[in-house]
Amino acid sequence: MYTHPVQAIGDPVPTLTLTSITAGEPTSLDACLASRRGGVVVFWSGVCTHCVRYDPYFNQFETAHPELALYVVATRFTESVDDVRRAIVERGLRFPLYNGADGTAAAAYLAQQTPRVYLVDPARTLMYRGAVDNFKYAADPEYQPYLERAIESFLAGKAIERPETGSFGCAVKSVYYQLPKMIERPPARG
Amino acid sequence: MADPLAELRALPPAVFERGIQTLARACTMAQSWLGVIDGKPPSHDTVQPSVDGPNDLDRATSDFANRTARILRYAALAGTGERSVAAEIADAARASFTGVLPRDLPSLLTFPLRLPLSFGSLLAQELGRGQHAFDIIGPMKAPAFLLELVEAFLDYPVFQALQYKDEIDRYRQRLAVAPDDPVARLHLGRAFIKCGLYAQALDELAIAARDPQTRAQALYERTVAGTRAGSYHQAILDGVSAIDAGADEPRAQHWMWLSSRKLGGYPPGTPRERCVEMATGYVPTALRYRDVAEEIGLDKTSGGRGTAVFDIDGDGELDVIISAVSGGCSVYRNNGDGTFRDASVGSGLDACVNSWGISAGDFDNDGRTDLFVTRLGYFDGQAALYHNNGDGTFTDVTREAGVSSWAPGFTAGWVDFDLDGRLDLFVPSNLGGVFHRSKRHRLFHNNGDGTFTDVTLDAGMTTWGPAVGATWGDYDNDGYPDLFLSSAFGRSQLFHNNGNGTFTDVSVEAGIDRPCFGMVTFFCDYDNDGWLDLVQYLWCSNDDMIHSLRHGQASPEGQPLRIYRNNRDGTFTFVNEELGIRECWGSMSGNAADLDNDGRLDLVLGNGGPQMDRSDPLVVLANDGRQFRNVTFAAGLPATGKAHGANAADLHGDGRMSIIAASGGMYPGELLTTSVFRPETLAGNYLNVRLKGVKSNRDAIGARLKLTAGGVEQHLVVNGGSQFGCLPLEQHFGLGVGRRPERLEVWWPGGPRETLHHLPLNTTITITEGEGNYTVVKRGPDPL
Repeated sequence: MYTHPVQAIGDPVPTLTLTSITAGEPTSLDACLASRRGGVVVFWSGVCTHCVRYDPYFNQFETAHPELALYVVATRFTESVDDVRRAIVERGLRFPLYNGADGTAAAAYLAQQTPRVYLVDPARTLMYRGAVDNFKYAADPEYQPYLERAIESFLAGKAIERPETGSFGCAVKSVYYQLPKMIERPPARG
Repeated sequence: MADPLAELRALPPAVFERGIQTLARACTMAQSWLGVIDGKPPSHDTVQPSVDGPNDLDRATSDFANRTARILRYAALAGTGERSVAAEIADAARASFTGVLPRDLPSLLTFPLRLPLSFGSLLAQELGRGQHAFDIIGPMKAPAFLLELVEAFLDYPVFQALQYKDEIDRYRQRLAVAPDDPVARLHLGRAFIKCGLYAQALDELAIAARDPQTRAQALYERTVAGTRAGSYHQAILDGVSAIDAGADEPRAQHWMWLSSRKLGGYPPGTPRERCVEMATGYVPTALRYRDVAEEIGLDKTSGGRGTAVFDIDGDGELDVIISAVSGGCSVYRNNGDGTFRDASVGSGLDACVNSWGISAGDFDNDGRTDLFVTRLGYFDGQAALYHNNGDGTFTDVTREAGVSSWAPGFTAGWVDFDLDGRLDLFVPSNLGGVFHRSKRHRLFHNNGDGTFTDVTLDAGMTTWGPAVGATWGDYDNDGYPDLFLSSAFGRSQLFHNNGNGTFTDVSVEAGIDRPCFGMVTFFCDYDNDGWLDLVQYLWCSNDDMIHSLRHGQASPEGQPLRIYRNNRDGTFTFVNEELGIRECWGSMSGNAADLDNDGRLDLVLGNGGPQMDRSDPLVVLANDGRQFRNVTFAAGLPATGKAHGANAADLHGDGRMSIIAASGGMYPGELLTTSVFRPETLAGNYLNVRLKGVKSNRDAIGARLKLTAGGVEQHLVVNGGSQFGCLPLEQHFGLGVGRRPERLEVWWPGGPRETLHHLPLNTTITITEGEGNYTVVKRGPDPL
């Protein structure tokens, strides 16, 4: 029987050393985790409709959780660094973004969709993997902030009640991203 | 002076239809002749994605028409200036035609003739579809209905390729220069809803609601956005205001009702005349479902489409594969303890992104069920054939097998149409855009060496209508499987298998060719008389769905699903009225299964539509032996959803048929995952049967089973796929209380009949062809 590659909760995930999109310098995940109590790796895309929802959340993440590193990997197939830089400016993104457009990092983490988050301890031990929330909204009585609950338990040294959830999102790689654009150039103003 | 449109409308439909068909054929024929002259015959089958743009003229004209339609739509909604529109259309022409411009003298000479012929044949097909829609829903409702569909079809490729931002930018640019443009504001809000950005949508729609021109629509859209965002109180308040402002009352009330269900009722102060309750779905039933997807680990697929339920690894347990429009296929292996583990990564199917329908069948008879996966339903995609390696992995063998295509494919089906013991493959072609040229359906004959040969033309299947559903079944009991095609934008067709590799279109004689928006279809013997009846689920407008919910019956223009009873003489009778089927739903998927173990097949309908203001319940119609009764809400099923792959299977081997609903929707804002609705109680005895062919194809697709229990006969058929996913290969017989199985006859495809006696109760058995006995399948305990 084929043995599926598994990254079990409690096992270490691979380290990453990717180039910062804003600073232009290679930065390792381990360096970010050093002197922190852990970190969150996010596979992300500048055009993913689902990632857009979490702009405010990730913008304030390091303020809300100074003890945790945030390592966001821009990983969509065919999305260029310039595309991501444009999104940073247009959306006022303030979280650290790293270039993972070749798909290697996503493959190493077995990530297929964006956004997908991984909560790890300083030794990169996987504590939580999946979605930020249950795709509902804060006003909804059924809203479940999966990642925040996992972080809360992790920082409190308690067992994480739900260490894995499904990820809603856009495909990291799709042939449709290669097809000619369906909308022509934007109309001239005036 | 005579009105030419009125005169056109006055023509009898058949004359109009024939005229359109003649125009289409004349154009196609002329294109073929030009191909003889310039040595470039028209291409009907494209294998590779058009990464550099259209690579044949017919695709180019369709592409250009779609782009132009999109430009004109944005011009109307985002106030694009005339000059910009002209420039954009010029850009569109460049994008569409650059790859097909003539590059030699013969082509240069024929191009001026080819171009109008290509547009002519496209126009003819569009007219045909338009006429079809008018015939079905009438001239009053057709324009609004078609406009909603046009919006969805134009949006689909934009959102699939994640270019939604360009759409949003258009509205923003317009608002930058004309901040008071309420139409642009309204549509910006609607675009945010499509993306699931409900907070932004609510803000924009609040501004649009200040303008009398857009107030009613904006408030209605706020009702939708509020409900979707979980702001149920506000959504109900917005709904009341929307109705007061003149919004479509039934639609607004539907969303208010959905919100009220979440709140446990309407908030105090809601005007009584604005509150509605739904009239259907409350027929008492013993069934009581609970969604256990999260509990058993089957909830990780988002944007789900097709489902396939079979034993992947030969351990006796039923595993589940779910395709997803935004990710790869999910493979869930059954742990044997009632739970499933996600075994997608490294399975090979994880690379099958943007997948749609799944059909399971062991094409090489190696004892391991393989898969054929279609892509993207209403948009060009690469269908793929996956060989099951038996170790939990699958290998893409599409190219080697010779079944490659780049076309809109919704469904596919396995069938041994020539009874040679090897599964053949049927891949229908669907509609792939507002302006789309139907491609031919393809019948692939299995050569027995891992390859297939396209025998469509030899088989005489000369049909060009797009098909959403297709099913195979031997309706005349001559031993050979026949084909029924269900078309949403064309006539349904029944092809009789002549037994010599050819087929005859017998639609008219059989009485099944009434126009409809045909979707899922399957043969089943709902009345247990030994003759396969035909079930055809239909799609309907949002308004007709809401009308059914509110009134327990379809509007005068609404079309309920169709059941055609087999008359045993090659004809069928439409029996909806006597079976009590009066409601219409936007059915996209479904199945027939004995859900309550009473020995009669019930119906599961997975419903929905692409629009963000649409949310349909998954419906269960229970067969009480006389009529089908809607037990949906009484059984505890939710009122919202968009169930694509709605399947029913005994996942836990305890006789309880769970409904697996892979839900998704077209827009990313839908945010739906998979549900597994499992009955909380076990009603009645049961027997599950798996067949293993020896001379017949290994999965015994096409086999018929007749079980006699307590003197009552029950008939089932092994189906090789008909819609978003295949129906389970395992056959489930409900036996009610007190009945024991006395005799089981198996009619192997093309082979002899085999009869077994002394059958066990409340278990799963496997019957191997020719052995005359059965083995009990060991299945794990059920912790639930």
